[in-house]
Amino acid sequence: MNKPSQQFATPARREVLFGLGAGLGSLALTSLLRGADPLLKTVHHPARAKRCIFLMMEGGPSHIDTFDPKPALTKRHLEKFTRSGEMQSAMSSGERYFVKSPFDFIKAGQSGADMCTEWDHLKNVADDICFYRGCQVESVNHPTACYHVNTGNQFGGDPAVGSWVTYGLGSMNDNLPGFVVLPRTSYPQGGAGNWANGFLPAEFQGTPLRPEGSPILDLNPPPGVTRERQRRNLDLLDRLNQAHLAARPGRSELEARMSSYELAYRMQMEVPGILDLDGEKQSTLDAYGIGDPKTEDFGRKCLLARRLVEKGVRFVQAYAGNWDSHDYIQKAHGALIRAVDKPIAALIADLKERGLLEDTLVVWCGEFGRTPDNGLRDGGESYGRDHNAKAMAMWFAGGGTKAGHTIGATDEIGAEAVDCVHHIRDIHVTLLHLFGLDDNKLTYFHAGRHKQLSQFGGQVIGELLA
Amino acid sequence: MMKTLSSSCALVSSLALCIFPVIGADDEVSEGEKLFALKVKPLFAEKCNACHGDEPEKLKGEFDMRTREAILKGGETFGDEVLIPGQGEKSFLYLTATRKEKDYEMPPKEADQLTEEQQWRIRDWINEGAPWLDDNRVAMIQKKYAEGEQVETSRALSEDWQNRRYAPEKLWAYRPLNVEAVPSGENPVDHFILGKLKQVGLEPAPPAEARELVRRLRFGLTGLPPKPEEISAFEVAYAQDPGSAVRGFARQLMDLPQYGEHFGLQWLDVARYADTSGFANDYARPNAWRYRDYVIRAFNDDKPYDQFVREQIAGDEMVSSQPATAKNHELLIATGFLRMGPWEQTSMSVFRETRVHWLDDVTDSVGQAFLGHAMQCAKCHDHKFDPVPTRDYYSMMAVFTTTQFAEPEVPFLERENLTGMNGSRQWVQEKIAAYQEQLKVLNERVKIRKKEETAAAKTGDNGLDPGDEASLARMNKNVDRHRWELDRSKPIAFSVYTGATIERKNVGSRITPPEDAWVQGKMEADVILNGGDAFSPGDPVKPAALSAAESLGGMEPTVFPDGEGKRRLALADWIVNEKNPLTARVMVNRVWSWHFGKGIAGNPNNFGGTGELPTHPDLLDHLAQWFIDHDWSVKQLNELIVSSETYRRSTRHPDPVKVANIDPGHALYAAFQPRRLKAEEIRDAMLAASGELNPQVGGIPARPDMNLEVAMQPRQIMGGTASVYEPDPLPKQRNRRTIYTEKVRGLRDPFLESFNQPGPDKSCELRESSTVAPQALTLLNSEEIQDRALALASDLLKARNGDEAVVREAFLRTLGRLPSEDEMSACLEHWSEAAIEEKGKTYEPKTYPVSIQRTVMAEKTGEPYDFDEILPAYRNYEPDLQPGEVDARTRGLAQVCLVIFNLNEFAYLD
Repeated sequence: MNKPSQQFATPARREVLFGLGAGLGSLALTSLLRGADPLLKTVHHPARAKRCIFLMMEGGPSHIDTFDPKPALTKRHLEKFTRSGEMQSAMSSGERYFVKSPFDFIKAGQSGADMCTEWDHLKNVADDICFYRGCQVESVNHPTACYHVNTGNQFGGDPAVGSWVTYGLGSMNDNLPGFVVLPRTSYPQGGAGNWANGFLPAEFQGTPLRPEGSPILDLNPPPGVTRERQRRNLDLLDRLNQAHLAARPGRSELEARMSSYELAYRMQMEVPGILDLDGEKQSTLDAYGIGDPKTEDFGRKCLLARRLVEKGVRFVQAYAGNWDSHDYIQKAHGALIRAVDKPIAALIADLKERGLLEDTLVVWCGEFGRTPDNGLRDGGESYGRDHNAKAMAMWFAGGGTKAGHTIGATDEIGAEAVDCVHHIRDIHVTLLHLFGLDDNKLTYFHAGRHKQLSQFGGQVIGELLA
Repeated sequence: MMKTLSSSCALVSSLALCIFPVIGADDEVSEGEKLFALKVKPLFAEKCNACHGDEPEKLKGEFDMRTREAILKGGETFGDEVLIPGQGEKSFLYLTATRKEKDYEMPPKEADQLTEEQQWRIRDWINEGAPWLDDNRVAMIQKKYAEGEQVETSRALSEDWQNRRYAPEKLWAYRPLNVEAVPSGENPVDHFILGKLKQVGLEPAPPAEARELVRRLRFGLTGLPPKPEEISAFEVAYAQDPGSAVRGFARQLMDLPQYGEHFGLQWLDVARYADTSGFANDYARPNAWRYRDYVIRAFNDDKPYDQFVREQIAGDEMVSSQPATAKNHELLIATGFLRMGPWEQTSMSVFRETRVHWLDDVTDSVGQAFLGHAMQCAKCHDHKFDPVPTRDYYSMMAVFTTTQFAEPEVPFLERENLTGMNGSRQWVQEKIAAYQEQLKVLNERVKIRKKEETAAAKTGDNGLDPGDEASLARMNKNVDRHRWELDRSKPIAFSVYTGATIERKNVGSRITPPEDAWVQGKMEADVILNGGDAFSPGDPVKPAALSAAESLGGMEPTVFPDGEGKRRLALADWIVNEKNPLTARVMVNRVWSWHFGKGIAGNPNNFGGTGELPTHPDLLDHLAQWFIDHDWSVKQLNELIVSSETYRRSTRHPDPVKVANIDPGHALYAAFQPRRLKAEEIRDAMLAASGELNPQVGGIPARPDMNLEVAMQPRQIMGGTASVYEPDPLPKQRNRRTIYTEKVRGLRDPFLESFNQPGPDKSCELRESSTVAPQALTLLNSEEIQDRALALASDLLKARNGDEAVVREAFLRTLGRLPSEDEMSACLEHWSEAAIEEKGKTYEPKTYPVSIQRTVMAEKTGEPYDFDEILPAYRNYEPDLQPGEVDARTRGLAQVCLVIFNLNEFAYLD
């Protein structure tokens, strides 16, 4: 990582103390990091959203089989054609055939939102959702497209959306990280780069709460080391460090490092409490599908997400997948939808009931959409879909988005967005806008340029705003 | 009339006087005209036209700024109030530029906002009647009145850019070295540093104490702590003659192989080194390690830097014939630099796109590493701030369009370390065998159970379990890639050749170089790619480099070969040309930053106008020339720097208040700036102190223990899940210096990552050093720290000394000094108390799984499934020393050692 320049150029400010993300070390932070920068923690215009739950449907869910029905494909089912050219990958070239959606569709809610019948619970909150069909990305490769959606840069190395938001607004709880990620047991392609701080200071990195084992690495002392033992070790550490510090007055980085040990010690107490769902009512657990093996995993993530934002975490990203259904879309998408349907519907209803939905933005999307056609592969025909950067499924709820509307459209077969078409960068700009942040003003000087989430600027998609 | 005026120069000169009172004859240039030609027109070009004219079909707000009449017409919001000639304060062109017009702050990006002075110029120009001039008259006025400096470059995309002027001080890096003489006998470092301190009236801090210096030098030159005997020897020598003691110790250290390892590590940050490909196929690049060792050898041999540059850029083109000499082999290995970035070509990607992705990476990386230029800034448009036109970017890219990937057979050098290859091969083979065994069983089952392909089968109801097909894909993929990994122990180099481009749809195994490089494949067109788009060819270009460096630096213009010529060799020679103003400055500045934690110029990868200007340009230039004159020797440069009084100063200034007032950014070097150890130094220093460090140099990547939860975590890869990370079975294999540990792009060691080890996807100019709570957790609780503390305790007790001697030795090994009385008593007390606590505790030996069950999602069916993965490395795994193997006294001492490893004094260098 390059040395951040200008804004954090002096040694005292470069070596900042922080905990797991913005906030844990807020005492030192406030003086070291925040003090002189007027940009931080101020919004550029009134905010509609204070927090975000980003449901990342990794693998590329098919818009055609979820929220964007294409009856025209039924007529052309199995119609064959050939595609070739320098601009095509091996995946998209050769002999291909159209595939109809295996699912039936309904008009849900008063707004009449399109969704397939597999969404058995989400239909009940359809009127709280703003569906969007106009988004496009550039890459049809999982890791590059994931990086693009998550960081604005296909090739990685840049800060994630959640990092930008916490950089701009900070955390609302000094004892929790500002940006938390709830990954699947297997990390997505591209790994932790999907929630990296990039060139922003390390405190803005997404903190993954691991679904198995220790939620935060090395949180607990190894077997045989009691909490008392640890306390005594820390006391000796402090005693020896004090003498060292006394001979080096004014070295703030040494003091900061000493307090970071106390923070770590406190975290050992506090973090497990966040993850403990014992205090939740059985009816809540049931609503989220916790207890049913099919929905347990994402149900926990959704409930945890609600608990985290309730405690002041600014940005939570929860992963589900893998939606990469090149084959057997009926089986695979069917199972995946059922795994997330109930938890998501419960999350939206729960947020609403608690009065949180109004200023909590929920985003649902993958890294790209899927094609109306499929290629012949080893096994011959199997009804699935390849990757499609020109059309995808995406929706928003709460946080100042236009509930009960469907914005934009794809063409007759779902190959390409044709109405209200926007590049993913405009989604980023819109998302920041809802947070009261102006993408053009939320910049960080690095490697000779004022960098911003959208890379080179973009526009707010007014149609999505309530 | 207006229309005619703005488009015809003949009319302007004849009618101008009667229409615009402000327009005069050649010798009567009005203020308004001057403002337009010198300030306003360039300002519009830089700040406005991107949205309001450059792309006439995509005008923002329907507002066109290409002509005066178009501006007068206005756009959709402000209409004819945009420009009211004579009334600057009322014209929205001015008002929006002041950013006071809500939602219409122009330009929209705050980072682009106009200075107050620029805003006033627009206002004043309007007040002067807003005169608009033709290009000839603009050129005439610019020639006659312009401030700033024009730079001759290849050719810009736009005329405005071509005529742009630069603040002269921002062009410092392109100018020839300006070498001031230094009185003989004086160290040039001190001469210039003291000169500036004197100017501002700041006294330098006194010299550091011997024990501080010995640690500073040991870590600074080898990345390891001093040994107790080195400390005492240095203290004696330093008391006699500080200068020669430092010089002597520095020479002694630079003769150690650990010197090359430490400097190699710093270069590998710049070179974006990793052992895997990244992205969706983050598998091993089995031969990348040979480039890593080449770099270490180069520093240990003190290979002249110009030679080092030439070999990395064009080693293969320097092999004139094909004799099998070690020198030629080394040249092929060196070109690994060009391929270090993340890259993949799969059936999901378009070859032309991944090809351009690599061309972008190599153009930018060569620019950053050797020329201090982030070339990417000129990829889509002429550089916003520096005299680097887009043409230069694509000219430099054209140097690489005949560069092709290959992994040729290159015999091992006598100096290469081949230990561990059998073990590595055996592990990979066992891994493959285990998969094959499982595949056999599964294939048989699938054969029996898979239904005929009926309509139902096409939707996934094919009689198989959810994970069956996913497992087949996963195991086949892993077998394929493990087979490729077997190349690790073969004499193959990760290299390039020069030839035509062969389109490859899928790269999943070794690429052998073709018989005749020019027969197969086709020549790429050397063109500007409009907007950086791989499918938008624009103007043709010829291979070349930075035109501003030639024109401003006074280099002889160089014609690079094209066609089948040796383009890269020409570029390498251009870079190391002694008249190239950038090269020596960039490297000297890097070496300086490695010693002082920051460059003389603050951004080692960015010498352009947006990089920090050098604090001591005279010193930088002097050192650059000195470096060239001393055969581009990094070792001699190091010696010059570390023997200076500037380097030897204490970190503690007697008058910190005065320093804070005069030099708050510590840019003047009144005192030495302390630094935190790098991630690798922390791990290596613990291993060195505990006596476990295996000093072996070079060889295939080592696999140390990694946090087990991270190591065993399923990692998605295209088509499945990558094999888990398995450590080497023996402690001596694992406990190597960190530079040798396998660097997997998608699986970073959390210990190293938390201490700011940079990600390898982009060149890193300088390490960051932040303090985060997870660092404390890892240094208190991780297996790594527990193992090291126990090993140190056990090693300390081997000598059977008294307790006090043990604590003294612990301090010496870790902090390079003896404990104070208070420290001694605190540690002894802690030790005995912990030992009592440990008495009676029993520790079961840890067990390690030889197979692990994991659950992942089957993408075909959308359902989770379990599978078992065999972990052959754990069959013969010997853990590091375990608590159960030692007595309570040792375990008690280990608690003291753990605390010492956590001390600020351990982590920070004075």
